[in-house]
Amino acid sequence: MHQTKNARQTTQTKPSTYLNEAVAIWLRDLRSEFRTRYALNAILMFAVTTLIAVSFSIGSFRIEEAERPFLYAVLLWIILTFSALSGLARSFVKEEEAGTMDILKLSARPQAVFLGKLLFNLTLLGAMELIIVPSFILLMAYQINFPGFFIAMVVSGGLGLAAGTTIIAAMIARASARGALFSALSIPLLLPLMITAIKGCERAAVGIGTAGWPEVKMAVAYVIVMVIMSLFLFPLVWEE
Amino acid sequence: MIVRSLLTIWMAVIIIAAFLYAEAAHGFPGETSRILFFHVPQAWIATLAFLISMIASVLYLAKRNVKADYIAQSAAELGFLFCVLATVTGSIFAKATWGSFWNWDPRQTSIVILLMIYGAYFALRSAVPDLERKRVFAGVYSILAFAAVPFLVFVVPRITSSLHPENTMNPASPGMDPKTLKVFLGSLFAYTGLFVWMLRLKIRILNIEGLRVRDLFR
Repeated sequence: MHQTKNARQTTQTKPSTYLNEAVAIWLRDLRSEFRTRYALNAILMFAVTTLIAVSFSIGSFRIEEAERPFLYAVLLWIILTFSALSGLARSFVKEEEAGTMDILKLSARPQAVFLGKLLFNLTLLGAMELIIVPSFILLMAYQINFPGFFIAMVVSGGLGLAAGTTIIAAMIARASARGALFSALSIPLLLPLMITAIKGCERAAVGIGTAGWPEVKMAVAYVIVMVIMSLFLFPLVWEE
Repeated sequence: MIVRSLLTIWMAVIIIAAFLYAEAAHGFPGETSRILFFHVPQAWIATLAFLISMIASVLYLAKRNVKADYIAQSAAELGFLFCVLATVTGSIFAKATWGSFWNWDPRQTSIVILLMIYGAYFALRSAVPDLERKRVFAGVYSILAFAAVPFLVFVVPRITSSLHPENTMNPASPGMDPKTLKVFLGSLFAYTGLFVWMLRLKIRILNIEGLRVRDLFR
């Protein structure tokens, strides 16, 4: 416990592995996030206000019963994706703003930095989904016939959102017009995932054709491809 | 110079042949099938340029040779141009045969995503002031986009039941008229020649601009 808390001590006592470097960065980011709650507040407020706007203008009865599974899945994933895009860049932008980029480069290997930031983004997304998805279901009276599949889809979709955007965040931290650029660069990469997740949530709501969990498998494959590509490409971005 | 003149003549011959020599394919309203001679080569160039840009990006990241980045940037810019042309011509064909300019046919979906990727690529290039960093980031993004695109093949709904004509106008299938095939292959060749010529021009321009910038900071 003590070792993971203090990255420097870990490197002194025994050779550090990728994993404990990544965990050290993750815990450090969590600690600094708990002090300011900047990213979490930004993401949550964005998500909550969008959810309220959607719920207020559509309500739980406007859309006809037969259309609900699909249209609600679309609305849910638009809220989740854009909320994620509003705050996930923060993980790298804050290093640039605080001027801690160079120190971080010295204290951990690039792949470990990527994994640590990925874990941190996943934590943020998990917290957001934990609040937004149940609220969405309650506010919109979303009928889900296969909750297991739905949960798996939301979790794997969230993994995909983080996996696809973490390396983009590292790039836009060093560019101008960050906020707009982050969405512009991420959306083309996230579209396949969004289409998959919408299809999956629709299937879970209807409860038909869920055998084999095709959409969840697709999202997991997306996560694996994006993480592996990022692990290869991140050192180039990081050392630049 | 000679090659360029030949290309000009060849292109003119193809345009005339497309309207006068080849016959309009059966099963399409009026003369609409003639779009094949222009639309398909444009789409082919757009895809080819995307591929070239990605390969040049990999080369740049591996060797850090500025020339490779010039190729990647030029190919991306030309690819975007041909992508827009293919989208517009395809959309006109869609209006003439399916009744609406845009209906999110799988082909239209995939070309829009290609356009979005190109757009994002240019946005990234223009937002990073440092030259070396801009090149690396653009290369990395190009490769990432290339990794994400294949998923679309699986997820775009009903990709197999596209309205896009495949059988009657596909040169590989025996259904194509020999005259049509001749003009089509000629057009493919002409467009590829045009692309190569434009690509070389663009690379030369970037080379000269690069020289000027380097001289300024010497």
